[in-house]
Amino acid sequence: MIIMFRAKLAFTSFLLLSFTYGHCQTVPKLQDEKELEVVDFKSIKKVLQQDGLSQAAQQKKKQVAVLKKEQVNLEQGRFNYPSEAEIWGFVSEYWLVKNAQILGWDFEKPDYGIEDSFKKTLEGMGFYQKKFKILLVNTPSLVRASMPGNEGEMILLLSVPFIRSLDLSKLEISILLLEDYFRLEAGYFKKSVGTEKLKKLAGTNFTGSKPDLSMIQELLKNYDNQINKKGYSFQQQFEVTKKMDAFLKASPELWNAYFRLLQKLQSFLKTNVQYKDYIKLYPSPEMQLKWISPDEKVL
Amino acid sequence: MMFILLLSSLLSFAETTSTDEKIVGIFYMQPLFGHVHQSSVRTSASLTTIQCAHPVKVIESSKVSVSPEWAYVQVAEYRGFIMKQFLSEKKPDCFQGKYPKFFDALNMDLAELYYWGRLYDHYVQGETRVH
Repeated sequence: MIIMFRAKLAFTSFLLLSFTYGHCQTVPKLQDEKELEVVDFKSIKKVLQQDGLSQAAQQKKKQVAVLKKEQVNLEQGRFNYPSEAEIWGFVSEYWLVKNAQILGWDFEKPDYGIEDSFKKTLEGMGFYQKKFKILLVNTPSLVRASMPGNEGEMILLLSVPFIRSLDLSKLEISILLLEDYFRLEAGYFKKSVGTEKLKKLAGTNFTGSKPDLSMIQELLKNYDNQINKKGYSFQQQFEVTKKMDAFLKASPELWNAYFRLLQKLQSFLKTNVQYKDYIKLYPSPEMQLKWISPDEKVL
Repeated sequence: MMFILLLSSLLSFAETTSTDEKIVGIFYMQPLFGHVHQSSVRTSASLTTIQCAHPVKVIESSKVSVSPEWAYVQVAEYRGFIMKQFLSEKKPDCFQGKYPKFFDALNMDLAELYYWGRLYDHYVQGETRVH
């Protein structure tokens, strides 16, 4: 009896094992299929629609798409060229950094009280919310210059040896800086230094390629040329001088100081060979005096 | 005896106050580059150059007296001075952060980074008032 029972049990176990093994071999499921089963809601679509779950899933899908797009934009944004306004400020400072040793601006300088004096001059003339950076340089080879800074601010350079040689007062320094401010505002610098490449590339994207740095090299070269060789034309000088005349006339004290300063410059430059290039860059104090001198009355 | 006790307590108090140190907070460098100075003078030597958005620990110490325009700071292992106008409570939007690939491509050398930091120390900066 016991032997019979053992035989039946062994046979049943054998059948059960072979069935399970056979079943497992015929329906092997891929991981993707399993995932699809989890993701595929078709079979319970109606139930899900009633619960609003399919809407939530769609919203989630949209959110993921938006996030992915933002991620791509962010990654692409890393390959942007700066905007034109940002490039001007950046290149001005880059030029100052590259010429640090020649200009010798990294030195201990006297406090001329220029900040307050220039601020007062600008405000006195109604120029509000104007940002400026003044850099005093320790070389007679660059007397003065103005260049665009960041976010509408101006960068003004002035030579300390020149200030000393002419024994300029705070007021006279401010008037020189005001002239440079008018030059910058008139856009002469940007017009002379700017390039086609700058206009073409500024604010664009260079994903998939290297940035074209020749744009920066060209600009730096043009800065050199404008500041050291080209300077300003007679026409530009005339316009600036007339503007100074018009603005300073409201304050006779300032107008007289400007007139005296031009006289001082004229006689100083005639005798001082060290500053012979000044007249080529800023023509010329003699002409400027003529342009603003009151007309002689003919009786 | 009383005098000695009083003197020793006073001395110990002086010692505690002289080592008093407080972290004011973490601030961030605002300009493109800047220097941690050896002393609170614009032209003083640079201990290290840091770039925009670099975190800076501002410290108040009874051992160090600083003029109102300067902050006593710690950056990595360096302790020195930075002008307060260059520090921001919020992380600034830096040029090199906005245009990293363009900026990296310029491949500036150490001397350029050093001078760029010095440039901000030498500027005489101002802004006319709002009308």
